[in-house]
Amino acid sequence: MPRPTTFGKDTGLQVRMTLTLFLLGLVYAALVGVIFASGYTPLLIIVAVMFLVQVFASDKLALHAMGAREVSPQEAPQLHAMVERLCVQANLPKPRIAVANTPMPNAFAIGRSPKSATVCATTGIMDLLSPAELEGVMAHELTHVQNRDVMVMTIASFFATVASYIVQFGFFFGGGGSDDDDSPSAAVVILVSIGVYVVSFLLLQALSRYREYAADRGAAIITGRPSALASALMRISGGMERIPQRDLRASEELAAFYIFPPHAKNSLMNLFSTHPPMEKRIAALSRLEAQLQGAA
Amino acid sequence: MGLFDVLTGKRKLARPAPDRLFAMTTANITFETELGIRTAGRAGIVFQALATADFDQLVKDMVEVVQGISEDSHTDVGSQDDEYGYRWIVLRDDDFDDLVVGINAVSGAIEAGGYGDRLLCAVFAFTNSAGRPLYFIYNYKRGSFYPFVPAGGAQQRDSESELRLKAQIGAELPIEPELERWFPLWGIPI
Repeated sequence: MPRPTTFGKDTGLQVRMTLTLFLLGLVYAALVGVIFASGYTPLLIIVAVMFLVQVFASDKLALHAMGAREVSPQEAPQLHAMVERLCVQANLPKPRIAVANTPMPNAFAIGRSPKSATVCATTGIMDLLSPAELEGVMAHELTHVQNRDVMVMTIASFFATVASYIVQFGFFFGGGGSDDDDSPSAAVVILVSIGVYVVSFLLLQALSRYREYAADRGAAIITGRPSALASALMRISGGMERIPQRDLRASEELAAFYIFPPHAKNSLMNLFSTHPPMEKRIAALSRLEAQLQGAA
Repeated sequence: MGLFDVLTGKRKLARPAPDRLFAMTTANITFETELGIRTAGRAGIVFQALATADFDQLVKDMVEVVQGISEDSHTDVGSQDDEYGYRWIVLRDDDFDDLVVGINAVSGAIEAGGYGDRLLCAVFAFTNSAGRPLYFIYNYKRGSFYPFVPAGGAQQRDSESELRLKAQIGAELPIEPELERWFPLWGIPI
């Protein structure tokens, strides 16, 4: 007898995400209006150019910064085969696969679009997790690829970065219209930028959290095993505490590699970047598992 | 996935496209008459076996379904898990048409049970005139076939033969146009 689809729709999550994007758009529109009115446009253009450079050059940079190296199917047959089958199921082209040699368990996805994406796993995570758990993690990263999360977050954070640059360098670029009574002065622009930066920072954090939830959900749908991903998250969060402080600081220094400041570092979707608390993610996955079993 | 789906991270698995499976029956005629490719008498269907109570029952029922329709055709049915945690239903029958019917029955049963989006591929095993094994894989998500010729050595495939096969049979069989979707299946248990 026919059953309803295995997982219900998560309308709440989609509504929250749409709302966040909408608010971000509003806030950014306000910033752009103030910029154009005050003659800060050259700064906007400079940031746009740097931004484009990051978008197009960040892949290789990010891989190198994380110490990841692309691997052939002969070098990592299990990983390749696992990702291949996930790609069949998710109807995705197979991304490039890279491995980073570090004991810290982590996985991330890089790339503007599914056709030019790379997914990476560390040796730490490959050693720590069982095959089913690792499959859940790779499905999570593939969902990021399919949702184009890197691109979405990079674009979403563009004007926040403009605002932060105005705040930092606004005085040097002083408004070209300062002689004109009608256009806002540099002080006003900087104040608006501070406001935009604060609000958009919070909105971006929220957006990033929602996309993590969406990626967890996508992994559950692709693999059909939400509990495997939940179990993987539990193992990893236990593992993170055991890693000595030195490793975490080392990866923080590499953040300086990026053209944009660390708080806007969105060229890769890390398993833990501005993530929701682990308990909430596991709870969401448990609900999905209950739906799956309950529908049976 | 549309722009709005991307923005809001909506997820949906592709529904299976089982209707083109029977193109294999006509292609097999060309295989035997013109290309010297013979069926190896084995076919398999691979899917993600979910750990729900009714899925286990479904697999058990499925074996009976296939045995039921193949009473006069002696199709052997077996199921096994591969090393990556996916489940295979393996059919053995020297009559190729019966194999296709059996595969279709299995996929139909899975779909009727509501698990159609867990189907990955159907695989048909052949041997060419030189006695080397080759497979044709049907991707349920995309409704297209592609050849898969494992070469000797780990994770090696004979891409030249695969492309040649595409040229030879492309008119009869809906072959997957994007080469990057010709996913290898290592460890096929047939």
